[in-house]
Amino acid sequence: MKFSPTRRQLLKGGLAAAAGLAASGIPRPRSAGAAVGEPLCTVLDISRCIGCEQCVEACREQWQETVPDPVEPMPKPFPSRVPIEDWSKKKDVSDRLTPYNWLYVEHLSLTHKGEEVEVNIPRRCMHCLNPPCVDLCPFGASRVEKNGIVRIDPDICLGGAKCRKVCPWHIPQRQSGLGIYLDIMPSYAGNGVMFKCHRCTPLVAQGKLPRCIEVCPEQIQSIGPRDQQVKKAVALAKQKAKADGAGEERWRDYLYGLFENGGTNTIYVSAIPFHEINRALKADRAQWAQESGIKAPRRAKRAALAGRPLMGPVADTMAEVGNLTWALALAPVAGLAAGLGRLAAGKGGRKGGER
Amino acid sequence: MRQEHPYSGPLSHWLYGIGIGLALFTGFGQMPIYKRYYLTDIPGLGWAADFYTTASLHYLAVALVLGLLAWRIGLYLRGVRIRWLWGPGTAWGWILFALLAASGLMKVLRNLGLYLPPPFIVTIDLVHMGSAMALMFTGLGVILSRRRRREKPL
Ligand code: SF4
Ligand code: SF4
Ligand code: SF4
Repeated sequence: MKFSPTRRQLLKGGLAAAAGLAASGIPRPRSAGAAVGEPLCTVLDISRCIGCEQCVEACREQWQETVPDPVEPMPKPFPSRVPIEDWSKKKDVSDRLTPYNWLYVEHLSLTHKGEEVEVNIPRRCMHCLNPPCVDLCPFGASRVEKNGIVRIDPDICLGGAKCRKVCPWHIPQRQSGLGIYLDIMPSYAGNGVMFKCHRCTPLVAQGKLPRCIEVCPEQIQSIGPRDQQVKKAVALAKQKAKADGAGEERWRDYLYGLFENGGTNTIYVSAIPFHEINRALKADRAQWAQESGIKAPRRAKRAALAGRPLMGPVADTMAEVGNLTWALALAPVAGLAAGLGRLAAGKGGRKGGER
Repeated sequence: MRQEHPYSGPLSHWLYGIGIGLALFTGFGQMPIYKRYYLTDIPGLGWAADFYTTASLHYLAVALVLGLLAWRIGLYLRGVRIRWLWGPGTAWGWILFALLAASGLMKVLRNLGLYLPPPFIVTIDLVHMGSAMALMFTGLGVILSRRRRREKPL
């Protein structure tokens, strides 16, 4: 066992490296092939994205058929309030995340410094360094590979959607009516299989590039070893900050994913600060909710956000649980000391007790 | 009649009961079943729907149980012999606790960001859940048989 350099520890290392970066140029995107087994990180310069959705098409072409169709008729879940989520008849939906669509492009218009600007943002799983979808999956179905890819094993997943609930961006999407739960107690436990971007695991394993990176006409995305990619993203963000008149030291505002949720292996760089982008995203969702015709405001809001993640700041979700490790480590030591030590000696020197 | 040593008194017994009860409740609550089966609709149990809350409480409950068991081991090592009314009383019980602790430790390390091979994680998840179930049924068996014994005094 060893600490994987793909995860939280590496974030720190990567940032330290980034600090001494000033002189270096921006490394060119390199093939994932050379980096198999290394922690891989993607950097997306969204200021260059033209919103053509070729990436979305390529992802769908490559992977949609790997998601099976559900059985017909689907087992009726008990109790009846458990929702059946069936996207098999809506495979053409490509403007949000679904089990059959793991990548979509957000087309946003917003006013920045008094000017109307268009922003296009390809969205998919962030591939977090310490993903709660993995840590909190009760069955080990969601997992992190050595190269930092987070993927869900469809042969083990029961479709309880806990991963979607604990993911700060609610990325994984459920297709009911397929998977191993059908062989256990289909009506009473489980509800399908969760799907999301696996960063083209089979292709990357062969040393190839993920499809969405390969087909992009603007080459907005690159993949490579994490430390290099972090350096590159920070340098780029500094450029963007400067160009935007904010000053280099505001570079963090122009990055998304480096710090979110304790760090991820997907770093977005933008020419516009991400808090402005997030504000526009929220306004878009509010408008969607209003136009949806759904009466209950909370339900409308939830529907507006489903499969369309925001880009707000996200604290490290596993930090609180992680901090409690101290309690686990100290309790036995304290207990043992109390048992061995004076604490007990006063009352109970009686050897042999009551046997 | 059984004599009771001060240490086996009600406080540790209660603490142990609370610790084990909470650990089992929050542990099984890691499966998304409480909401499905309306448990979290019971007033006062809404928190059980939040997996981060139940995970944190699970850690705290386990810390309590570990502390108590370590205290017991400390007393034993000091030569204090007590017939405990709580906790594992047989080799089987201790084996279950050892399995829970070992698999739980792996999960704790994973939650900190340690890389563990995915098939290994599936195994420890199954071991953790299986031994927790075995512990629950053994514990229930012991409690029920004690009750029965108490009802029909020798
Ligand atoms: S293919 Fe490239 S430019 Fe086109 S939408 Fe996707 S990321 Fe943007
Ligand atoms: S973004 Fe969500 S689904 Fe993706 S790795 Fe992070 S927690 Fe998991
Ligand atoms: S990395 Fe692969 S699976 Fe993920 S969005 Fe891109 S094409 Fe789809």
